Amino acid sequence: MSRPRSMRQNARGYLLTFPAFAFLVVFFVGPLIVNLFESVKNEDGGLTYAQYVRALGDAYYLEVLGDTIVLSLAVTIASLVLGYPLAIAIARSRGALKSFLIFLVVTPLLINVVVRTFGWMVIFGRSGFINAILKLLDLDTATLTGTWTGIGIAMVQVLLPFMVLSIASTLEGIDGELEDAAITLGATPLKTIIHVIFPLSLQGVITGTLLVFALSMGSFVTVMLMGSNSTMVLPLLVYQQLNLASDWPFAAALGNILIFVVLIATALQLGLAKRGVRR
Amino acid sequence: MKIRSRPGSLMVCYLAVISVFLLLPQLIVVVVAFSEASFVSFPPPGYSTKWMVRVLSDPSFMKPLWNSVVLGLSASIMAAALALPASLAIVRHRFQGARALQNFLLSPLSMPTLILAIALLFFLNDIGLGNTYAGLVFGHVVVVLPYLVRTIVAVYSGTDPRIEEAAYTLGAKPLSTFWFITLPMLRPAIFAGGMFAFLVSFDEVAVALLLSNASSITLPVSILTYLTYNYDPAVAAISVIKMIIVVLALLVLERFYGLQNLTMQSR
Repeated sequence: MSRPRSMRQNARGYLLTFPAFAFLVVFFVGPLIVNLFESVKNEDGGLTYAQYVRALGDAYYLEVLGDTIVLSLAVTIASLVLGYPLAIAIARSRGALKSFLIFLVVTPLLINVVVRTFGWMVIFGRSGFINAILKLLDLDTATLTGTWTGIGIAMVQVLLPFMVLSIASTLEGIDGELEDAAITLGATPLKTIIHVIFPLSLQGVITGTLLVFALSMGSFVTVMLMGSNSTMVLPLLVYQQLNLASDWPFAAALGNILIFVVLIATALQLGLAKRGVRR
Repeated sequence: MKIRSRPGSLMVCYLAVISVFLLLPQLIVVVVAFSEASFVSFPPPGYSTKWMVRVLSDPSFMKPLWNSVVLGLSASIMAAALALPASLAIVRHRFQGARALQNFLLSPLSMPTLILAIALLFFLNDIGLGNTYAGLVFGHVVVVLPYLVRTIVAVYSGTDPRIEEAAYTLGAKPLSTFWFITLPMLRPAIFAGGMFAFLVSFDEVAVALLLSNASSITLPVSILTYLTYNYDPAVAAISVIKMIIVVLALLVLERFYGLQNLTMQSR
C-alpha cells in the first residue's frame, strides 16, 4: 500500500470517528475531569486535599471503603466459581439446550436491578418465601434482609450474567478439538478443564472478573433497598452525601476514591494476566 | 466428545440449581403482582388482578413509563447516529489508532454509572445544562453508545469487504456504495444494537436518578423511589408490566438478530 493512500485512509477514518470521539470527550472525559477539580477546590478557588484527608483519615469512611472492597471481592469470586461451569455449558451445548441457557443468562440481565432486588426482598423477607418453607418444616424463621449475606446473594444474582457472558464468549473461540485431543490422550474431563480449557479461557476470566468487580464497586441499589444501618457501601454513601447532605465536594472526593480503587484493581489484574501469558 | 455432547449428572444438577437461582426472584415478583393482599407476602393469601389494574391507571407510574420510552428512543437514535460512522471507520479504514479509538468508545462500559452520574451532575451545571432534559439524554447517550459500537463493529467485521470492493470496481461512488451495499448489510446490526441500547437506557438507574426531575422521572427511578417508602404489591405489578415490555423487545431482537450473537460480542 502506497503512502498517500494510507494517509487518505487515516484522514477518512478520523473524520468518520470524530463525532463519536468528540461527544465522549465532552460528555464523558470532561465530566470526570470536572469531578476531579470539584474535589480539590476550596471556597476561594485554591487547591486543597482536605476532602481526601477527611475521607481517608476517618475510621468510619475507611471501614465503609473496606466493607465495599470485601463485598465486591466476595461477589466477584462467587460469580466466577458459580458462573464458570455455566459458561462451559453454554459454549459446548447446541440447539434447544443452548438457547435455553442463553435465555437463562440474558433474561435476568434485562430485568431491572430494582425489580430483582425486590424479588430477593420477598424471598428473604419476614413473611417471605424462605420463611414460608421454614414454617412448613416447623423451623424457626429467620431473615437475611439487612445482612451482608443477603445483599451478597442478591448481588451475585444481579452480576453473574456478566461473568458468564464474558467467559462464554472466550470459550466459544477455543477449538473443541483441543479438548477432544486431551480426552483421547487419557485426561479426565476435570483434568481437561483445569489444564486445557481454563488456561485458554483466561482472557474471558479476566474480562469477567474486572467487569463484575467494577460493577459491584459501583452498585448501590441493592444495599439501598436491602441494607440496614450496619451495611453501608461507598457508592451509597456518595449518593447520600450528594442528595441528603448536599456536600458536593466531599461526594466528588469519595467518588474519585471509588474510581481509584477500580483502576488499581484493573492494573493489578492486567499485570497478573501479562505474567500468566508470558509463562 | 464427552464434555461437548453429554452433560453428566453432576452438571445437570448444577444447571438446575443455577436456573432456579437466576430465575427465582423474577418469578416471585410475577406471583406477588397478582396478590390480592394489601401487603407483600409469599405465598400470597389469594390472587387477583387488582394491583395490575391500579398500577395501569396510576399516572405516577404511567407517566414515568412513557418518559422511559421517549428517553430510550431519543438516546438510542442519537447514539446510533454517532456510532455508525465511527464503527464503519474502525472496521474498514484501518487507520492509525483505530484500535485505541475503539477501546475509548467502549470505555464508558467499565465506568460505574453512579460515578458518571455524579460527574455529569457537576459538569452539566457548569455548562448551563443543569436540570435540563438535554442533559439527561446526553447522559444516556454516553451509557448506551458502547453497546451500539460493539454490535455494529462485531457484525461489520464479519462481512466480506470484497462485496463493497466489487461495487467500487463496477463504478459505484462511495456514497451510493454505502447507501445500497453497506447500509442494507448493516441494517439488522443497527436495529439490534439500537434495541439493545434502548433496553439498557430503559433499565438505567443511576444517571436517571441524579439527572431527571419531577417531569422527566423514568420508570426504574419511580419504582426505586416508591420502594424506598412503600413495600406493597404495586411494585411487583409495575415490574411485571416492565418485564412484558422487555420480553417483547427481546423476542423482536431474537427474530432479527439472534440472542446467540450476544454471547459472542460481550467483550
